[in-house]
Amino acid sequence: MSVIARWLGPVLLLSGAAFLLSDYHNDVYRKMLLWVALALGYNFLFGICGQVAFSHFAFYGIGAYSVVILLFQFHLPLPLAIVLGVVICVLVALAVAIPSTRLEGFYLALATLALAQLFVVVLNEGGALTGGTSGIANYRLPDIFGVRIRGPWFTAVIVLLVVGTYAVLWRLDRSWFGRACRAVRDNPEAAAAMGVNVARTKVIAFTLTSALAGIAGMVYAFVDNTVNPPIFGIDNAFLLLFMVIVGGAGRHAGAVIGAVLLFLLPFWLSPVVGHHHVLVFGVLVLAAILLQPRGLIGLFDFAKKPS
Amino acid sequence: MSKAILQVRNLTKRFGGLTAVSDLAFEVREGEILGMIGPNGAGKSTTFNLIAGTYSATEGEVQFSGEPVLGLPPHRIAAKGIMRTFQHNRPFGGMPVIENVMVGAHTRFTSTLWSVVAGYSRKEEIEKRRRAEELVDFVGLGDLRDADVTTLSFGQGRLLEIARALAGEPRLILFDEPAAGLTQDELDRLGGIMRGIAARGIAMLLIEHDMHFLLPLAHRVVVLNFGAKIADGLPGEIRADPAVMDAYLGGSHAAA
Amino acid sequence: MQDFLELAVGAAASGCVYGLLALAYLLMIRPTGIINFAVGEWAMVAAFGGFLLLSKLEWPYPLGMAAVLGFMLLVGWATERIAVRPLVARGAPLIAPILALLGMLVIFREIVSISFPPDPHPVPYAFGIGRLDFGLLGGSYQSFFIIGVTLLVFAATWLFFERTLAGRMFEAVALHRRAAALMGINLFRVTALSFAGGAGAAGLAGLLVSPNISAHYQMGVPLAIQGFTALVIGGVGRVEGALLGGLLLAFAEQLTVRYAPIPSGFAQGVPLLFLMVFLLVRPTGLLKARA
Repeated sequence: MSVIARWLGPVLLLSGAAFLLSDYHNDVYRKMLLWVALALGYNFLFGICGQVAFSHFAFYGIGAYSVVILLFQFHLPLPLAIVLGVVICVLVALAVAIPSTRLEGFYLALATLALAQLFVVVLNEGGALTGGTSGIANYRLPDIFGVRIRGPWFTAVIVLLVVGTYAVLWRLDRSWFGRACRAVRDNPEAAAAMGVNVARTKVIAFTLTSALAGIAGMVYAFVDNTVNPPIFGIDNAFLLLFMVIVGGAGRHAGAVIGAVLLFLLPFWLSPVVGHHHVLVFGVLVLAAILLQPRGLIGLFDFAKKPS
Repeated sequence: MSKAILQVRNLTKRFGGLTAVSDLAFEVREGEILGMIGPNGAGKSTTFNLIAGTYSATEGEVQFSGEPVLGLPPHRIAAKGIMRTFQHNRPFGGMPVIENVMVGAHTRFTSTLWSVVAGYSRKEEIEKRRRAEELVDFVGLGDLRDADVTTLSFGQGRLLEIARALAGEPRLILFDEPAAGLTQDELDRLGGIMRGIAARGIAMLLIEHDMHFLLPLAHRVVVLNFGAKIADGLPGEIRADPAVMDAYLGGSHAAA
Repeated sequence: MQDFLELAVGAAASGCVYGLLALAYLLMIRPTGIINFAVGEWAMVAAFGGFLLLSKLEWPYPLGMAAVLGFMLLVGWATERIAVRPLVARGAPLIAPILALLGMLVIFREIVSISFPPDPHPVPYAFGIGRLDFGLLGGSYQSFFIIGVTLLVFAATWLFFERTLAGRMFEAVALHRRAAALMGINLFRVTALSFAGGAGAAGLAGLLVSPNISAHYQMGVPLAIQGFTALVIGGVGRVEGALLGGLLLAFAEQLTVRYAPIPSGFAQGVPLLFLMVFLLVRPTGLLKARA
């Protein structure tokens, strides 16, 4: 009961807000929430488990394309399409993670960078299946039990996704698994001596967060009702990394702050710098790493209790 | 006499042409503190790493409570009940003291990943945290339970290593030069803690350089030189053994 | 066969460009362990330097080339001062400078994208457009120029590492940083030099390849990946591995495009597949480090 109460409050609050917003602001709000979900998952992978991967956004794309292709090219029912989409994400994640986590160093970063690039190539060359360079458009979310979910109600679905993602990651973080992940990040050899199966822990963390990204992508597919290759380019993989670094790697609150800030910054900056907000991101990341490695959340802690 | 918990037989490690450990045999008995000494390069560290699973042996057999453990990866060896400390402390820098100790209990958790996600693992988590708190108190770091590990002194870091090893509910702890880098006060405290561990029935294998620390503490001592065992006996016998004195005092180190 | 020889000189030239990029990575990885993905952006910066000096201001080629390369050494040195040295001096984990350099990558790209219009900018060929034939082997002037310059650079680098005291110093740092520091080697100077050298090699690659693909602010990431793939194929152990890796990659790419029955867009995927396969199957590369 208390468990339900604990998560119900945020769900009601965050989805209630959607009913007060205009259509345009609902759209912005949805995308911001999806970035928060992605940043939370990426923070677990990079900030907590210490794995540098560039594939997180690609899995978002794999999830989005999978569900659209399964629904509208193969005409599968929605639940089956979702389950199969998750299975696809898990299989791709395992195929990348099992060999590359066996090796020391930055092999995962490179293998996932290649995967992210390869994904876009496959999308562009996928012919009728992926819709090539123009992607797939003009579809809409199938009715669920005869109900058509749209407007703020769809935003509420995204809120459920974000809160669900947070709940799963929060519980994992506060368990033997989260501690094993942090131990692997801080000192793999000592972690192994404590009985942590380092390779397995990495593979599980990678697969799990990749699957979460895939699920977020499935929801995203019905935000704009179009999927196309440019959306899932490598730039967004960098942006995700930057969100986590600027917000504060290893902290859930940091990921949320980073995602919200870097998502909203372009809206505020566009009158000043036009489309060149990415330059500001670059400077922010450099400043964070050089001056405040704990990110904005570290700055916040510092202000809260000056020592 | 209690029965052997760790039996090492015929243990050999060659690095290319160099034989670091040759045909070594010894055993550790239940609740016993076994010291292993020898001059630099005698093969102590190699032996340690072979038992802990960080090196693979060229030949030989290691049995832990009757089960072969040689060749298992380090995490499997920890799960069997052999925990270790590091000579250069290796804390998990991003976690407070208590969490570090709880990582040591990793292999003792029974809840599955699914039950964690479903929220059914709270009880076990609380129980293990309470045990970890007891261990932090036991090694005397009670006041620093929630401290950032990067703020600990070297001596405190060594105590954390011990609490972390104990959290794995081991039946044998391997200590890699536990006295190295400690002050006399810290050494006295460490000796007391180790006797306390022995009183709990946990066996210990100490690789050590400092004979002043080791000889009063150990129940039995194995002496290595050039990768082979040259003596094995009570500390008093070792002190009087001419072969040991030769090997050891041949170097610059003074015995007790 | 005729077909293949037709292809050979062009493929070798692309391979040389990849090789130079791989060399840039290698120069930085060996003494510091730092993988600098900004290598591709350095090549891009140099290509725009070529556009500015050679196309716009119409400087003579040797002068323009020297000015661009000099500028790149400066860029590399400055990058090291800003994004690497403060972190290394503080004893931050290795990942910190790598991430800081990713920030620099974005900064380089955005500065160029702000300063120039988004369309491709032409860069002239060193000897104009023309074709040279030696019996069956033939190719453009630029291809032969690229091959010649690259061989010169690799020969010089090889001699530096094998025959000079300073090169030995680099090797010592590559093998063991702390021991090298104890020997009285100034680690910061070695790091600064390796970044300057890396930027020089990457800039040269960018300048050489830009007449064929034109300077464009998005040219960096593909070059960074191709260079890295070449490095992974050749292995970080030896200088000549970078060139070997580059050549193998370029031939594999061109032969696939030419002979494999796949859509040409998929050809972009060839280096990526190569990269994944090598990372998974043979992560140490083809050439082993010298003991």
